[in-house]
Amino acid sequence: MSDVLTAPRSQTRRPAKSLARRIENIVLSTITLVAALVWIFPLYWTLITSIRSDENVAGNASLLPDEFRLNAYVNAIFNTRLMTWYLNSVGTAVIVTVLVLFISMLCAYALSQIRFPGRGLLYGVVLASFMVPAQTLVVTQFILMKDLNLINTWAGIILPQLIAPVVIIVYKQFFDSVPKEMREAVVLDGGGEYTILFKVFLPLNWGITTAMAIVTFIGVWNAFFWPFLVVTSENMMTIPVGITQVKDAFGVAYARLMAVAMLAALPVIIAYIIFQRRVTEAIMISSGVKG
Amino acid sequence: MAMIENRRKKSLVALTMVTPFLVTFTIFFLYPMLKMIELSFTDAPLIGAGQWIGFDNYAKLLSDRLFTISLKNNAYFVALTVVPTTAIALLIALGISRLSGVRQTLVMALFFMPYVLPVSVVTEIWAWMLDLQFGILQPLIALISGKPVAVFKNPYWVMPTVAVVTIWWTNGFNVLLFLAGLRNVPAELYEAAALDGATTWQKFSRVTWPLLWPVTALVLTLQLILQLKIFDQIYLLSGGGPFNSSYVLLLKVYREAFQSNNGGYASAVATVVFLLIAVISVLQFQLLRIRRNS
Amino acid sequence: MRLIKSLFLSTVLGLAALPAAAQQDIVWWDFLSGGDGVRMKALIEAFNKEHPDIRIRGTTLEWGVPFYTKVRTASAVGEGPDVMTYHLSRATLGIEEKVLSPITDEDLANAGLKKDDFFEAPIKAATHDGKLYAVPFDIHALILYYNADLLKGSPYIDANGKLAGIKTLEDFNKALDWLKQKGVPTPLTYQSGGDGGVWRVFYTLLTQQGGEFVTNGKVLDGDNAAKAAKAIDIMSAWREKGLTPEQAEYEASVALFSAGKSAFQLNGVWEVPTFKDLEKNGKLGFKWGAVEVPPFMGKRSTWADSHAFAIPNEGDKTVSGEKRAAVMKVIGWMEKHAISWADAGHIPAYKAVTEGADYKAMEPNATYATLAEAAAFDPQTRITGVASPAYDAALNVIAPAIQGYMNGTDAVAQIKLELQDKLK
Repeated sequence: MSDVLTAPRSQTRRPAKSLARRIENIVLSTITLVAALVWIFPLYWTLITSIRSDENVAGNASLLPDEFRLNAYVNAIFNTRLMTWYLNSVGTAVIVTVLVLFISMLCAYALSQIRFPGRGLLYGVVLASFMVPAQTLVVTQFILMKDLNLINTWAGIILPQLIAPVVIIVYKQFFDSVPKEMREAVVLDGGGEYTILFKVFLPLNWGITTAMAIVTFIGVWNAFFWPFLVVTSENMMTIPVGITQVKDAFGVAYARLMAVAMLAALPVIIAYIIFQRRVTEAIMISSGVKG
Repeated sequence: MAMIENRRKKSLVALTMVTPFLVTFTIFFLYPMLKMIELSFTDAPLIGAGQWIGFDNYAKLLSDRLFTISLKNNAYFVALTVVPTTAIALLIALGISRLSGVRQTLVMALFFMPYVLPVSVVTEIWAWMLDLQFGILQPLIALISGKPVAVFKNPYWVMPTVAVVTIWWTNGFNVLLFLAGLRNVPAELYEAAALDGATTWQKFSRVTWPLLWPVTALVLTLQLILQLKIFDQIYLLSGGGPFNSSYVLLLKVYREAFQSNNGGYASAVATVVFLLIAVISVLQFQLLRIRRNS
Repeated sequence: MRLIKSLFLSTVLGLAALPAAAQQDIVWWDFLSGGDGVRMKALIEAFNKEHPDIRIRGTTLEWGVPFYTKVRTASAVGEGPDVMTYHLSRATLGIEEKVLSPITDEDLANAGLKKDDFFEAPIKAATHDGKLYAVPFDIHALILYYNADLLKGSPYIDANGKLAGIKTLEDFNKALDWLKQKGVPTPLTYQSGGDGGVWRVFYTLLTQQGGEFVTNGKVLDGDNAAKAAKAIDIMSAWREKGLTPEQAEYEASVALFSAGKSAFQLNGVWEVPTFKDLEKNGKLGFKWGAVEVPPFMGKRSTWADSHAFAIPNEGDKTVSGEKRAAVMKVIGWMEKHAISWADAGHIPAYKAVTEGADYKAMEPNATYATLAEAAAFDPQTRITGVASPAYDAALNVIAPAIQGYMNGTDAVAQIKLELQDKLK
């Protein structure tokens, strides 16, 4: 599992390789490398812009960093409500992640391990809700939130994001693959379904749970459309919605805008660098190309 | 008797386990869905009750120029993104799979990084890079069109540019899927092909491509559904303009509901979009499965 | 779930509010950026400093459609601000949307204001069925900015560096041609790629012909259609000859003038402070001036609008009691300190301020002081005003026509088609 990226074919290590092959390999590797650098250029350029002074940004096409100022960052932190938005983003993303895992895990376990009336129907519903676009429901979801008095609240941001059919499907596939004997052993000891789920099944593969947590967290952290609709007060905005406000308050000041963009991106970038393997795995698992 | 007892008890336990999902699903998905269909037959404002007007909203849709434009623009955007992003992702994945060790991890990280960014960060970065006066990419654009272009203000440039931004942002995800697919191609097949003296291209077209088809199908399906739902990037970069040349369906839903206060009509648009995407994704899913099986 | 909300609010807001428990928080929304924004923020800060018992918490949203969409939705669900800036051009639309809460005589008294304190035109625009729906703050209009250095050597500038001899469209076009030949890249700039900029120039050209946008419930009826088509064709001709920028965003259109790439600019009075500030810091590099838009089409007339303060309805309820009194206190204070707002180029709606010596000495406000007589406000209908169907048409019909996608007559036909139904 640790080697998700390494292709098993050992072509490159085989000794008998013609010169032409080797040149081809070098050329193609170089192209890939250059393409990767081009691909990351926008982020690099954002960083460079953000550490320049506002006056130096306009018309400065120098690709190398020529000054290092943190003014734009200081400005962004103290003149916007970035810290409040961080708090809202972290708070809602953590709560959604925990609840999604809990709700989906229970539902998936029942679907996988217990025979009960309506099971087939329920699984059909889960699969169907995976196919249909929840984004088209925003109008009536908004009206519902208004009726529940949840506009401009964390609950309003959180609740419609709790339905995650993908997580249920992945968990169900995992539970399906657990050998029958493990379950029967617990049943003989007099353990109930909850004991089986939390004491046996879950600890079997924390990797799945971590993966689902990561995928859910990234999704919620980056969510734009729904938080944008359900929040009208600056104090309740999440990072992706909040930073669009900064533009309007600042006018055109690109160093500051890019500093704000960097600050908004930094937590996810750092998290990605730390958990790179996990993230990679999580995405493969959740899209079913790797069980 | 004991067995029935046991079964009933089991059902009860199952019920407690599925209840959290059932409740959230019913309140925040099923109810809004039914409500949307109901509202689509009324002239209700966004907040407040309306009159039942039958199929009037749907009839109005047929002659709504903006709806037709949105429909076309959605199709155009799908054409600009789905196949190109799949092809680009495949190329990148093939390139990465030739690398090894740290170099591979690093290159993969560079390609994947944009995917973890919030959409508004992505749009702000590109708006800056494409700024008419100071954008670092304007010299490149001048090479193509002879002069700098305000891309999000130009009816010909706007959709392709939004497509480029979208591909840059989401492509890492597809690369990952292809890498996983490539890993599942058995090494022996390549060895056998090598023994037969196959060229790189032959290896790709005879071994890699056929075996990669399931992943390709998956990527195509996921992308099609995703890109049909385009809203965020359009709203943040061009707002549907210029001259409605980037007006898309979800933007239509949003504008009708929240700008023009036509809750009923917005629901009718939303219902059509809902059905459209559902039918397309089911159809495509089936189609790809048939092709894969045959 | 309410619990989470209240817990969160009490920690975040509570902490900040601890020292002065009796402080009244006023949530304020505006759409003012650039020079306007700077001056408004200074006013808010000054108010907060003077009033320990009231604190204004300002939020600036994007001008136009985004602002009014947010206001409408927030107000419908009872989550709107306590007070907001509002364009009087869309007062009818705002009342129709049920966003605006009437300002009573008692409210005005709380602010220390009377209707008579204001110029008549904005008060009229804010009044419907005898009820006042907003307190006017200013009158602002389209003016013609010019770069005296670029015009040097032409017959259009006098010995004192003042604009001279431009009385008709013909004069103006000659001046533009002269500039183009001299190598000025974009002789005339305006926001040609945005609803506001296009509408302002179009409406000025229309009303200078004596044209009206809506008459007797009909959009561009009778010979108004021909006049509108003529206005659009003039704007197209400018673009075709490369005299105006293509699809310019607001900031870009202003930058063209401040960078010396345009000799003329058709824009609102609110950019006056921008150039004043640049000049003061020695960053402008040329002499400039601003005048009332000359009567190109024969009649003196120039697009105008008013900023006002309004209190939104909050769902089924409306802010009342102490909070409302505090809001009115804020409004009253702002009106009486409108001299700083005049510094942003606007004409205060509160007469007392305009009668003071400070105001009379203000430049270049004095040069265009007469334009109140020429001010042409948008008609008070449900299809006109900022972020209205008419503004949408400016962006989606007139702007493409200017870009050469259709001629004036076809554009007018399309405007009528799109707007007539909405007028009902």
